[in-house]
Amino acid sequence: MREANLYEIITVALAHDLKDGELGFTGLTTGDGAARFATSIPLAAAQLARLTHAPNLTIMLAGWVHNPNLRQLTRLPNSEFDEELRDLECEAQSRGFPNHPWAIKRGDIDFGFASGAQVDKYGNINSVCIGDYRNPKVRLIGPVLQPEHMTLFGREYVMMAQHDARRFVEKVDFISGVGYPGGQAGRRELGIEWGGPELVFTPKCIFDFDKEAGRMRVKSIHPGIGIDDLRASTGFDLGPLDDVPLTRLPEPEELELLRNEVDPYGLLLPTT
Amino acid sequence: MNVNKRQSKLVSLKDAAALVDDGNRIAIGGFGVYQHPMAFVYELIRQKKKDLTVVGIVNGNDVDILAGAGCLRRVETSYVGFEKFGLAPNFRRSVEAGELEIVDYPEILSMDRFRASQENFSFWPAYFLGGNDLLRINPDIKPFDCPLTGKKAWAVPPADPDVVVIHATLGDEYGNVLVPTRRLTPQSLDITMARSCDKVIVTVEKIVSTQKIRRHPHLVEIPSYRTTAVVEVPWGAHPTSVLGVYGGDDDHVRHYLEAAKSPDTFRQYLDEYVYGVERHTDYLNKIGLEALLSLRKMDIAL
Repeated sequence: MREANLYEIITVALAHDLKDGELGFTGLTTGDGAARFATSIPLAAAQLARLTHAPNLTIMLAGWVHNPNLRQLTRLPNSEFDEELRDLECEAQSRGFPNHPWAIKRGDIDFGFASGAQVDKYGNINSVCIGDYRNPKVRLIGPVLQPEHMTLFGREYVMMAQHDARRFVEKVDFISGVGYPGGQAGRRELGIEWGGPELVFTPKCIFDFDKEAGRMRVKSIHPGIGIDDLRASTGFDLGPLDDVPLTRLPEPEELELLRNEVDPYGLLLPTT
Repeated sequence: MNVNKRQSKLVSLKDAAALVDDGNRIAIGGFGVYQHPMAFVYELIRQKKKDLTVVGIVNGNDVDILAGAGCLRRVETSYVGFEKFGLAPNFRRSVEAGELEIVDYPEILSMDRFRASQENFSFWPAYFLGGNDLLRINPDIKPFDCPLTGKKAWAVPPADPDVVVIHATLGDEYGNVLVPTRRLTPQSLDITMARSCDKVIVTVEKIVSTQKIRRHPHLVEIPSYRTTAVVEVPWGAHPTSVLGVYGGDDDHVRHYLEAAKSPDTFRQYLDEYVYGVERHTDYLNKIGLEALLSLRKMDIAL
């Protein structure tokens, strides 16, 4: 059997973190690498979880298509709101605000996926601007749903298609999604009742958080990535890395399911 | 006995756009790259509107072209971009040059602001803004403690547009506007917007008879008394899509984005597709019949 590639490794690691009975939210991210990380990997992981330990998990595509039959697709959709998604076979649909079937502010959504132009060591994310807000070097898209993702969802997976020191910074230029400033206690003081970033997936490693201290830390390093490379690609101090394990490789049974059942046409994940 | 005739609200694009005053707060229907009333937006540009504030939810083509034409003073929204096509070049240039004021709001809260206006609330309460830099840059959002629970909260100003403009599929001359049951977020938000304001302009793909509307009353989400003016504009959302009627014109959007790379080439784009066009059908002729037909959708049923 072909060895697991990076995307399969990340997908299986993510699937292990999803729990039975949960409701997950994926947006429709576009652009090759970003879409792969923020949309395809989450969809594949959720479907793998549904076929194994989490048959009662519900995953939403584009935030409104519940448990879509992805095998009906011949390519990944690139429009959030068109006939193709409207007519995709699925379990339930949302017709949009304010009549979504879920109660977002009551905490119905257990997990979601975000990315940003920058993420910092506190887990804050930024998609608003680079540089000063009033005099930005680059004006980006805006906060979109990030503020809600990072506070109203049960937990957030930050999916970064690229791992370099421009994106992983000491402090983001603008906080549009709140991480752990001052740790868990800091979040409570800010009036945030639950949620926050759980894991950060990159092509080089997986981060988790020391939530009490409010700091991102390396949980595992992907096979083939050197420690020096990881340090050079990250704009904040990673601390000691000698005891950090390699990211766990998928079991053969998991790979088989992923390739034959979840994504038989190679729509979501690269097949080489 | 005095017997009056029911008043038609059907007007021309020119007359409808004349209802927007310089300096107005305007809400433009649609979402991202979907179903914006673009023909109306072009007419605003032809009429050289100034100092408009767009109050929105998720904006794209609408805000970018208005920014590039110099019609805007301020934008309040959660997103301006072209989704799969990338960033919004004119918007980006204007904000980076300090010529356009942007006030960022979270996406759900941007929607709630229109609900606040519908309910005539003086503010909408939010409980999840702590630590977000959106508070740092927006003096209009004020902190308070919930008087019942003591919970930390923020009062967010309502959208309060002076005028709302949306693009729908069908309506009648009295301003009854129909929205398909298989609607998605862009169409649902259009309905929310249409209830947030007393000046509501609707452009529709086609005007049909009231008799026809009366056979589908369950689809009339915007009844005539909520509508100020209705305009018939076939392909009125081009190059954005209208659900079940036509898809987005990706080729034209790419052409637009190429032109928008510099102010000079963008000025040429405006000259060709906006200023140099007298009627909307002239614009459609420029796009061409073959291009339009290739975008056409034909739903089995509403």
